Amino acid sequence: MIVAERKPFEEVRAMVKDFKKVLTVGCGTCVAVCLAGGEKEVGVLNSELKIARRLEGNPIETGGVTVERQCDMEFLEELDGIVDEYDAIISMACGAGIQFIAERFPEVPVFPGVDTSFIGVNREVGWYEEKCRACGTCVLGMTAGICPVTMCAKGLFNGPCGGTNKGSCEINSDQPCAWHRIHERLAKQNRLQNILDICPPNDWRNQTPRTIVQPGYKERLAAFDLK
Amino acid sequence: MTQQTQMETINITTDVLVVGAGMTGVKAATEIAASGYKVVLIDEGAGLGMTAGALVADLDGDEQAALEALVESVNESNMIEVMTGTLMDGTAGVPGDFRVWLSGNDDIVEKSVGAIVVASELVYSPLNEAYGLSLSETVISQSQLEAALSENPSAFAGKSVAFMLGLAQDGNPLVLERVLKSVLAMENMDDTSAYVFAGDLKVAEDGLERLYLECRDRGAMYVKLTEIPTVVQEGAALSITYDDPVLQRKVELAPDIIVVEEAIGADQVNAALAEMLKIDVGSMGFLQTDNVHRYPVSTNREGIFVVGGSRQVKKHYGALMDAENAAIRVRNLLGDGTIVVPANKAVLDTGKCTFCLTCYRCCPHGAIYWSGDNKPVISAVACQGCGICASECPMDAIQIGEFNDTDMIDQVTASAAENTDNEPTIVAFCCQNSGLEAARMAESFGMPLPRGLKTVAVPCAGKVDIDYIMHALAEGADGVMVMACHNGNCKSEKGSLYAGWRAANAQGMLEAIGIEKDRIGFATTASNMGADFSSILMKMEETLKEK
Repeated sequence: MIVAERKPFEEVRAMVKDFKKVLTVGCGTCVAVCLAGGEKEVGVLNSELKIARRLEGNPIETGGVTVERQCDMEFLEELDGIVDEYDAIISMACGAGIQFIAERFPEVPVFPGVDTSFIGVNREVGWYEEKCRACGTCVLGMTAGICPVTMCAKGLFNGPCGGTNKGSCEINSDQPCAWHRIHERLAKQNRLQNILDICPPNDWRNQTPRTIVQPGYKERLAAFDLK
Repeated sequence: MTQQTQMETINITTDVLVVGAGMTGVKAATEIAASGYKVVLIDEGAGLGMTAGALVADLDGDEQAALEALVESVNESNMIEVMTGTLMDGTAGVPGDFRVWLSGNDDIVEKSVGAIVVASELVYSPLNEAYGLSLSETVISQSQLEAALSENPSAFAGKSVAFMLGLAQDGNPLVLERVLKSVLAMENMDDTSAYVFAGDLKVAEDGLERLYLECRDRGAMYVKLTEIPTVVQEGAALSITYDDPVLQRKVELAPDIIVVEEAIGADQVNAALAEMLKIDVGSMGFLQTDNVHRYPVSTNREGIFVVGGSRQVKKHYGALMDAENAAIRVRNLLGDGTIVVPANKAVLDTGKCTFCLTCYRCCPHGAIYWSGDNKPVISAVACQGCGICASECPMDAIQIGEFNDTDMIDQVTASAAENTDNEPTIVAFCCQNSGLEAARMAESFGMPLPRGLKTVAVPCAGKVDIDYIMHALAEGADGVMVMACHNGNCKSEKGSLYAGWRAANAQGMLEAIGIEKDRIGFATTASNMGADFSSILMKMEETLKEK
């Protein structure tokens, strides 16, 4: 899932300081699961804003709605009648959700309530670890299920580099060397040959937003004149 | 709250699994079967009443006869299925509907049971190494001595025997009782002399002091030491040199035999059982936490009971009493095979639920699992209604009976907004097991309380949502107090902990906003501590008035 972190309160307060009526929109999917932007966090942020603004002698009115997913248009539709009543929106979704809201309501200032951090896994309640950088060229089949783009400080597709140091990375002894782990796991699975095979480089040049139309959908989209 | 609570009737399985066929397990199985429930009695070992820890050697004649009668009754019972050489491999489900997997004889069988009783026995390990000794013909453990005494007591005639205890570990009445029984047996033989080298003698058990005196009157010599004496062991020859506290000089003794004390501990199997059963482990590997609500035989999970040596160092009669208590608890739970429970104890809105597993991971009662259609299910039988899950849920998708979020927020809003003569408004969230009772006591005894105090009842401090705390302050309260139960006194084990963490979290938010964090307080109390409640709240009022 996508993991996010609540923005420091000071930052949120500064962003909405000129607005009197703010709608905080939670997202009921990834950011709810990682305890950063679900219904609970919407309520808490609104209370924080109210307390702070009352103290400033500049009270704020807040509203809270949590939609199923901010990255789907249909779920944003339920905001249509509500948004007009507010001066600004705080979106607690990941960067994708925030942008989708901003696109749907171009007249209304939209502010992020969270920092989108990474694609990761859940170790325990409230504890998350980055696992994937969405590079678009998955090499996990070659690397024993350990992502070198995420785990290796250099993001090497072919490693280790000369900085591997008894299992740690040269940048920090607490940081495990991704390629050391890859080597260990490949050895256990008796397929060390994989580390000798050269992975062709990923094309990191001229990165522009990626669009994907799944196979079989081009015709469908064209038929309905959607793309 | 005026509405009649809807009740639902749940059909349950009434078979019971008893894990461990030592003396306690055999007793528990017998008692439960006598209540009319079928029992599956499993043991890793080969026979009944004979698990590794259940040393038959230390049973006296009456106890031995009682155990034999129990084993006989189990063997004859058609209500008890005995599976020896069998381990529990896994468990799932909730009280009234547990599934257990039992492995043994190259086979795994699945059983459906309504309750589980864990009856692992105490494990005794000789402390000879701590005394610098190797077990040999002349250096023996207490258990070895008991076995030898019951086999051929005359072998000890004319011998001098030195007992070592309370020097390699804290003194313990159970250890002392076994030693003294052996000492008495020695002293009852001609020309046998017994020496007891001891640190503290703990006599806090029935008849122990009398036994101690009887041994002394018969001629046993006690030497109280503060540290382990020098013991030389050369082959079979032994010599003990110690600073005699009475003679005030070094004394050497050359006994024929040294008997070393044994440490009494929990069976190592407990750790694996606890993990499988999702029950809390207490100190020293015993299966009960130091929490008054767990006594005598409960765990953090309904329907799972721990008896005898699985939960505490216990004497035989105490363990047998546990077995009887477990049978009573089993009967109360399983009844006639139906349970009537409130339908709204904890209700999950599956539409709101995002299936993040937070509730499942937080529930201290193991009451939440998930169904085939990938939605959490809260067992109404297992749920204790503490509300920890509801207050952790990021989507507010769980509502607790009479404490649902809408009503709670309404009550918080009303409490926070009310102003009494410009006195500071304090919203105090009070656990109904402690803080709320203490508040009532303070009030009815006329103890001082802040004029702006508004109490909000919660089923357990674990239900105090961080959203409630912040909402109270946002709606005009000057301060918020969370009144939870003392450590080890929370019915839900972790409710007070969660409440404390949330209060600290909310304090951090106040600091980030730029106001004093002591506008939020957290304190623990008990239902009979009205004066304590009064002083905590008066102090809070004073703090707020200074601002």
